[in-house]
Amino acid sequence: MPVTDAAARSRIADPGLADVGERRIAWVARNSPVLNRLARNRLADGTLRGKRIAVVVHLEAKTAYLATLLTEAGAEVVAAGSNPLSTQDAVCAALVRRGIEVHARHGATPDEFTADLLDVAETGPHIVIDDGAELTRRIVQHRPDLAAQLEGVTEETTTGVGRLRALEDAGLLTFPAIAANNARCKHMFDNPYGTGQTALTAILRLTNLSAAGKRFCIVGYGWVGQGLARRAQGYGGRVTVVELDPVQALRAHMDGYRVAPIAHAVEDADFVVTATGKIAAVTAEVFPRLKDGVILANAGHHDREIDVAALGAGVEVRPRVVRYNVDEKKVYVLVDGSLVNIAGGDGNPVDIMDLSFSVQALAAHRLASGGVPVGLNAFPDELDREIARTKLSTLGIELDDESEAQRRFAEEWST
Amino acid sequence: MTSGPLAREGERKIAWVAEWMPVLNTIRDQLRDGGAVAGRRIAVILPVEPKTAYLAACLAEAGAEVTVAFQGVMVHDDVAAGLAARGVDVFARRGSTRDEELEYFHQVLARRPEVVIDDRADVIRLAHTTHREVLETLVGASEETTSGVIALRAMEADGTLEVPCIAANNARCKYLFDNRYGSGQSAVNAVLDATNLLLAGRHVVVVGYGWVGKGIALRARGLGAQVTVCEVEPFAALEAYHDGFDVAPLVDACATAATVFTATGVRHSLGSEAIETLPDGALLANAGGIDDEFDVPALRAAADETRRVREHVEEFRRGDRSLFVVGEGVCVNLSAGEGHPAEIMDLTFSVQALSAAYLLQHAQELAPAVHALPPEIDERIARAKLAALGLQIDALTAEQEAFLHAWEAFA
Repeated sequence: MPVTDAAARSRIADPGLADVGERRIAWVARNSPVLNRLARNRLADGTLRGKRIAVVVHLEAKTAYLATLLTEAGAEVVAAGSNPLSTQDAVCAALVRRGIEVHARHGATPDEFTADLLDVAETGPHIVIDDGAELTRRIVQHRPDLAAQLEGVTEETTTGVGRLRALEDAGLLTFPAIAANNARCKHMFDNPYGTGQTALTAILRLTNLSAAGKRFCIVGYGWVGQGLARRAQGYGGRVTVVELDPVQALRAHMDGYRVAPIAHAVEDADFVVTATGKIAAVTAEVFPRLKDGVILANAGHHDREIDVAALGAGVEVRPRVVRYNVDEKKVYVLVDGSLVNIAGGDGNPVDIMDLSFSVQALAAHRLASGGVPVGLNAFPDELDREIARTKLSTLGIELDDESEAQRRFAEEWST
Repeated sequence: MTSGPLAREGERKIAWVAEWMPVLNTIRDQLRDGGAVAGRRIAVILPVEPKTAYLAACLAEAGAEVTVAFQGVMVHDDVAAGLAARGVDVFARRGSTRDEELEYFHQVLARRPEVVIDDRADVIRLAHTTHREVLETLVGASEETTSGVIALRAMEADGTLEVPCIAANNARCKYLFDNRYGSGQSAVNAVLDATNLLLAGRHVVVVGYGWVGKGIALRARGLGAQVTVCEVEPFAALEAYHDGFDVAPLVDACATAATVFTATGVRHSLGSEAIETLPDGALLANAGGIDDEFDVPALRAAADETRRVREHVEEFRRGDRSLFVVGEGVCVNLSAGEGHPAEIMDLTFSVQALSAAYLLQHAQELAPAVHALPPEIDERIARAKLAALGLQIDALTAEQEAFLHAWEAFA
């Protein structure tokens, strides 16, 4: 195999895994009708030709397929992971063989992870497709000179949008950014249905335990928490919600769940799943209240939602299940408290990421077209609708048009 | 294969499930202290995964001489090694052929088991046909599956059954939980894990609305699927309708199916006519007790091309339509997953352990027929599970009890 430039510049674990990665990407390609139809057509207009795009999203097969489509459209793509535990080495190998530069290894240390991101920054991207603003905040912090040539950033997660907002408040967001996460085709599907399903299946598979009749304590009732609660109930679980926001707490109550402060909510919980997008959701103060044999898992953004370090030394009792002792009780933590569906599974479902990455592809395209104002912007509503319509049509689902009477009613203010 | 990393990994898996099987732990101690199985030969013919291994280990720890055998993709080699390290004789290898399987069963029968804990009545049938010498010392068998109980009943009906058999499957502590909640969760979960596809909004067809089909339909709906049930039995079909599912003939349902689960226990339930109508991209998975509920060899023969697209997913392409078989067409929660959840198998294997012990003590009082597990044993297991869960329930008052036994309803 000839060593391409991309291969020479890449830093990955094992190029020999490419066939395995290729197979995973092919399955994604088959199950991504919106990317294949809408995004591929839209990207083919030459706008992305010669643009350097950094893709810094969980490096597994779905992300790899997005990177491939951007490359097909003429972009020079450089990829890195957004979390060392979610990086799949086989997928990295396949990407490198496809001629894409990759800086990512599964299980990289925090220092190696930062070095990989800085290497990606060094390539001087025009556009960043970011997750948790991991690359953007490092560029702003370490390479303000490179920030000057950024044509735009599009952000995948709730947490990252929060960080971009903080940058904007601090006057440091000197380039256009699109909150891709806030597109309806992203957060209304990816967060509740994607993470809801996959976090639950990952927890059950990692433990081989039964959900029926169990108490699930869901910490955080945002889009992800709502999906977790619904799916836990769908598996026969009984749900308690912990929430700080009174409106969301009230919503959980009216959705039929028990709502309680964390100290009470965990007392009878067989599973505690965090989805706050913040840190310190389950801390040493809560540990003494946990039930013997409880399973702790995180489905939020941070691997610091559960204070795993405060649990002391643990023993791995099954792959990716570590037992800790708190007083006389056993506490099990899944995948070290990092994202359970990604680090402990295959990430969000392919058909969900088809929507999310169609948003990202069209956001990158819009940024490259120019004219997006500096600062944080919403994803254009007409694109959002177009993605939804395309998805519906691939499902064979038809919609009615607004009738003349309905349109007139909506326009009149006096009826 | 009793040492090394394979056995250590297997032991770790067995130790994990042991923590979640409190009722079986108690029963093991009771059997050991009471000597009910001490020195008795028990053959365990069940998929070799951690829970089964733990049942075998518990019987061995209670003093029985235990042999284990199973075939094919439902064998976890690490667990087999771990179990062997615990001193149980294991005859099993993942991917073994039909011939090897028969050899394993032959080995087990050569140990002259007194009780067989059987799966799909495979070994009991051998004992009545090619290995009749075993009947001299065999006192009885306990059967795990719906399909096996049907076979044993057929043997009883034509007068060929020569030993008493307990339909462990028909204990309430088994089928009410294992078949419905165990298979429901783990079959749906296995398909989602194997494919990384979304279930929400997906059209799922469940073929067969027995306990397993009920569990799958329930869990698929819980994950947002649109579920259609296909049945041949009018009561089950009406039940599905009243549970809120669409009910349709198989050929019609398949025309728009994205995922089909079979759970009938009947060979070729999903026939070629129905398979013909499936749209491109449909997933097929079997959650029932029979390996060929749909005909994988026929699919293979008819395909222009087959290839493995993910670890547990095989594509069968003909023309411009591809179908995807998950878990080789055999029980998907075992072939593409780790089987039923541990806590559910705590109930099932408590039934099996007590069923084996009961046969060892009472077989001579039982006719060569299919028997129920005595209801008081069933109830004892349910109460032990409730106690382990910390759940308390009420008891009938004397007045209520009297009412139930009075015949003068309007007195």
